[in-house]
Amino acid sequence: MPGPSQTVSALRSLLAARFPEKSRRAGGGVSAAVRAIDDALGGGLPAGRLTELVSAVPSGGGQTVLARLLASTQAARQRIALVDGSDGFAPGAVPDDMLRHLVWVRCRAPDEAFAAADILVRDGNYAVVVLDLRGCAERVLRRTPASTWYRLQRAAEGGSVAVLVQTQSPLVPAVPWRLVLDEPLSLASAGAPREDVAARLAVRAERSHAEATEALAG
Amino acid sequence: MNYAVLCVPDFALCALRRSDPSLCGRAVALVSGEGRRARVTEVSPEAQGVAPGLASTLAMSRCPGIILRPRDPGAEAEAHRLLVAAAFTLAPRVESTSLGCCTVDLRGADRRRAEALMRLRAAELAGAGLPLRIGAGETPFLASYAARCAEPVLIVADTGGFLAPLPLSFADPTTEEEAILKGWGITTLGGLTALPKAEVARRMGTGGVLLWERAAGEATRVLRLAEPARSFAAEWAYEPPVESTEPLLFKLRRFAERIALELRGAGFVAEKLSLTLLLEDETDHRREFRLPEPGADVEGWLRVLGGHLATVRTQARVAGVRLVAAPARPPQRQEGLFDTGLRDPASFWENIARVAAIVGDDRVGTPVPCDTHRPDAFAMERPAESVEPPAGAPVHPPFGPTLRRFRPPWPVRVTLEAGAPARLEGGRLEGGVRATLGPWRGSGDWWKPGSWAVETWQVELSGGGVYQLALSGGDWRVEGMLD
Repeated sequence: MPGPSQTVSALRSLLAARFPEKSRRAGGGVSAAVRAIDDALGGGLPAGRLTELVSAVPSGGGQTVLARLLASTQAARQRIALVDGSDGFAPGAVPDDMLRHLVWVRCRAPDEAFAAADILVRDGNYAVVVLDLRGCAERVLRRTPASTWYRLQRAAEGGSVAVLVQTQSPLVPAVPWRLVLDEPLSLASAGAPREDVAARLAVRAERSHAEATEALAG
Repeated sequence: MNYAVLCVPDFALCALRRSDPSLCGRAVALVSGEGRRARVTEVSPEAQGVAPGLASTLAMSRCPGIILRPRDPGAEAEAHRLLVAAAFTLAPRVESTSLGCCTVDLRGADRRRAEALMRLRAAELAGAGLPLRIGAGETPFLASYAARCAEPVLIVADTGGFLAPLPLSFADPTTEEEAILKGWGITTLGGLTALPKAEVARRMGTGGVLLWERAAGEATRVLRLAEPARSFAAEWAYEPPVESTEPLLFKLRRFAERIALELRGAGFVAEKLSLTLLLEDETDHRREFRLPEPGADVEGWLRVLGGHLATVRTQARVAGVRLVAAPARPPQRQEGLFDTGLRDPASFWENIARVAAIVGDDRVGTPVPCDTHRPDAFAMERPAESVEPPAGAPVHPPFGPTLRRFRPPWPVRVTLEAGAPARLEGGRLEGGVRATLGPWRGSGDWWKPGSWAVETWQVELSGGGVYQLALSGGDWRVEGMLD
């Protein structure tokens, strides 16, 4: 009689065979140009999926990730949209050259951000849509109905756009990948090249669809 | 023009006639109830002398040859999916309001393009057997009133002028409210809204106020948004099974019309079609067709399917048919070796306009730093159509964590020790300072009004977090977080 682990393994294999779309391996997406994030996601932000990046501490490095993403998409000549829930992006903090492929949406409230993201994710012209909800009122975000997230996930599914949701605490229900930045940067890193700052970021995978996929693949 | 309502008058009857070719051009009536109690609910224009509410026996005597049918839920569901698909081609925020009626949030859409699309969809759906009426206005209620008057498209520009002559029944008054207003001699929406709202409220209560707001077209509501189609498939069971290709092709045309619209609404085209004939002996006949060019051209699909069906011989009659389209992104434009332009320029600019309608014209675009050292000085410009290659390594490569601004900056009290910030108090940030960098001093525009001078520090708090402080005019502010 097979043990429980063998039964679970057989069940996973069966599910992987029946629903290959659901068990799609990460990768083939957009490189974040941050080694820890690309490694955690198996190559980069997955296309057609949501990835949540939680900045759990102040100065966790979320904005540095965004700056690196601007650089990597520009190098790949891809278009990126930033839906900025609290209007926090500072154009002066990144080189001018890295702004020319960016469409920046400066929102005043989370509902504006969700409405704008809903439109841009369906557009088809963007490689990455970043929905930055850091700085938005936590109690307002907590009231976001699950159907809003579900709608966003469905909009991304099957498309070629990678969606990165930046939050301050875990927010997106049933998100395939949730990465957490929980070590604050210090002022000592102010003199280091930004690439080095990004390379030293500590990223913890709280939820990883890639691990589940590997398990499914046996 | 914020909302549009798409509706089909006598929807159940239209759906039935659309699904059964034998009913075209014939006198048909839908009935509900059984036996002598059966009553006509909807009637085709060919049935002279028959009106809704008439007993079925009386309908047959008044119009010999009339075909009486019950409602067909399958045909209605298929027709409603076609209607929803048409709505999604206008805008992504669509509510499936009721069977045969959809409401679309058009905010941000280009008015002229939306109007042209509405006329096109109305003509297409009329050709597909659904005589569509589309009304557009500032509120969902106003759009629904316009849809009821449309022939086939009506856009309300002058709200007052449009509403004034409409009968009171458009605003759905209760029987009691209608009787009261009739007693006052009021029979139109204009007559009701000519009364002061406060006086109506005093005499008729909350219900009266809501009725007044609906009559004035002011009332609004939140749309319950529907999901666009994600699977592009259709299936039908024949009762009785069929032996020839005509009924198959008729049904496949209906499927293709709906699936093509669903694909367009979701921004896809079909690259492959899969046809399955379900046979009476419980076997099936399957065939996949890779289209020569991915597209959503119904006639092209039917040429492929019809050409195949003409050669098919099956062992048993066909009891059902299923059509599935495999979606793909449209090859809107050929990309050159060095060209990374827009894949779908029309969609790109339309969506930029929609987002601008939500957040404001000046709050969406590509940021371009201004030619000044003033902090946070930038302009928003129209995004470029192509992404240029990197211009080489920057002269001043970025260092350190990236600033995320607080707009507006947070006021804070700063205690200094040896000329440097030592403690922050008040406002949203408090704590001792562990390390500092600075100051960086800048000033400009001193030769004209609006001169500025600022002293900037970067501080790391004992509790964690690196922030950028600015001293200007004697006031300290937290400009943002180095993140």
